[in-house]
Amino acid sequence: MRAAKSAYPLTWRIMDALEAFAAFVWPARFGRAIPWLMLAPALLLVGLLVLGLWQIGDVSLRTLDTSTFLMSEAYTLANYQRAFTESLFAVVAWRSLAGSLIVTVVTLTLAFPYAYVMVRTSSPTTRKLLLIALFLPFFIGQVVRAYGWLIILGNQGMVNEALGLVRIAPIRLLYNYWAVLFGLVQYMLPFAVLMLAPALTAIPEELEAAAGSLGADWARTFRHIVLPLARPGLVGAGLVVMTLSLTDFAMPAILGGGSQDFIANAIYDQFFRTSDQGLGSTLALLLVAAGSMLVGLVFTLFGAGTLAVGRARR
Amino acid sequence: MTAPLSKTIVLWIFVVAVLVLLSAPTIVILGASFTSGNIITFPPEGFSLKWYEKIATSRDLWDAFLRSLYVSAICTIVAIPVGTLAGIVLAKYAIRFEKSVQIYLLLPFTIPLIGSGIGLMLIFGEARLLGQLWPVGLACCVINLPFMIWAVIASASSLDPDLELAAASCGAPPLSTFLHVTLPAVMPGVISGSLLMFILALNEFLVSLLLTDARIVTLPVQIYNSIRSIITPDLAAISVVFIACAALAIVLLDRLVGLEIFLKSK
Repeated sequence: MRAAKSAYPLTWRIMDALEAFAAFVWPARFGRAIPWLMLAPALLLVGLLVLGLWQIGDVSLRTLDTSTFLMSEAYTLANYQRAFTESLFAVVAWRSLAGSLIVTVVTLTLAFPYAYVMVRTSSPTTRKLLLIALFLPFFIGQVVRAYGWLIILGNQGMVNEALGLVRIAPIRLLYNYWAVLFGLVQYMLPFAVLMLAPALTAIPEELEAAAGSLGADWARTFRHIVLPLARPGLVGAGLVVMTLSLTDFAMPAILGGGSQDFIANAIYDQFFRTSDQGLGSTLALLLVAAGSMLVGLVFTLFGAGTLAVGRARR
Repeated sequence: MTAPLSKTIVLWIFVVAVLVLLSAPTIVILGASFTSGNIITFPPEGFSLKWYEKIATSRDLWDAFLRSLYVSAICTIVAIPVGTLAGIVLAKYAIRFEKSVQIYLLLPFTIPLIGSGIGLMLIFGEARLLGQLWPVGLACCVINLPFMIWAVIASASSLDPDLELAAASCGAPPLSTFLHVTLPAVMPGVISGSLLMFILALNEFLVSLLLTDARIVTLPVQIYNSIRSIITPDLAAISVVFIACAALAIVLLDRLVGLEIFLKSK
């Protein structure tokens, strides 16, 4: 008895039972459906977002009755008309759009050399240090990082204390447009570098050496070999940085101090200050549409870049 | 091949600038948390641990931190099976409508966070789920799910499909093949993905802000609310908790799968 037990251990028996159970509830002839069964939970979870968008669409078609504070029963397009005609929203939209463009250009310019050095360096220690310096802020979160900038840039912050030592009057560094953009660039850098790095790894180092041996100096090699070949990475990184900064909430809220609202802040205010869910939903839906159009435009113009998922084409 | 000096100099000017930009808030927060003064100044006025003492006895902050941990745990526990199965399918099976499924599963990234957050707030509100914590965890899972799927795809694509066929031809039934061949092969992806999910949920701010009320705020929301009233060094001390969590996650990630995995080209 003992011998038999060790020859056919308990775990095997459990596996046998599980296999039999699996074969019973899911016979082999259903095999084609297995991938869909495995995908189902993910499809359902993401379905929550689709349901949410549907709900936003529904609410956006109702107006707020300011005397009873109830949403109207009948559908109307009044909210959309307000969103497109009121100048406040145009100002906020332009501020966000221009801001995200500037942030994208600056972030990519800073991230590209960093990613390049990180990928090409021959020293494993340097590489590891650069990676750690990248992941630490990435893992710390936006609020804490913004708090750090408040300490540095505040009216009694480090920079102004240092200026005071050389008798320069304090400068108001926070709560303006540039502070928000500065915070956004810092927030976006890890995303950008992490999207660029795989694309740079894919460029064979020999190509650069070949260009060099044909007489190109390093600036020309960079311009004509590395940059064009890194395009998938630049597209992916640019798109991520652009959409994330266009729709950001925390940096404008904390470093802008309420005077530099981006679209997300305007939406939040509609929900929680004015309590006008209808108009807030309208703005949210318009932002989703604008974001999707941006993604679609970039994809059709430049291809999916490093954002493409799925099986490697064999 | 040695790089020309001018190239090295130009590149490193950029690298150092980025390093300063990336690390400045972290270093300053660490410094400020040890100050003995009341307002935050730099360099810190004397060394003390009194702000740590203060947060250690502050129920509000600890409760908020525990709630954040709970939310992250829910997020990760949901994300592991869901993301692993989806990632394996996307990496290995040819299915119909593959492109559409891929685009659909990227929705959490293409829908702006404020849109996802408001949408979830509305449907959780309809379902009378607001005011509880687990929906927040579920929400964090949905909005970051593509990270998990990406991580799994990355390691599943490197698994030779012949290995699974070999297991089957040696007589292993489908479930055994899955448990003993497929699953171990995607393990690095599952580990890095779930670490990412946990730490991102721990730091999630906007969605928490939308889905929590004053009784159940998570730590990032608590910090945000305090920043807007008055800046005191106890916030720096509690921020150090986040820095410590981030450092721990990096060490784990490096030990378990190696940070260099993020440099690999697909």
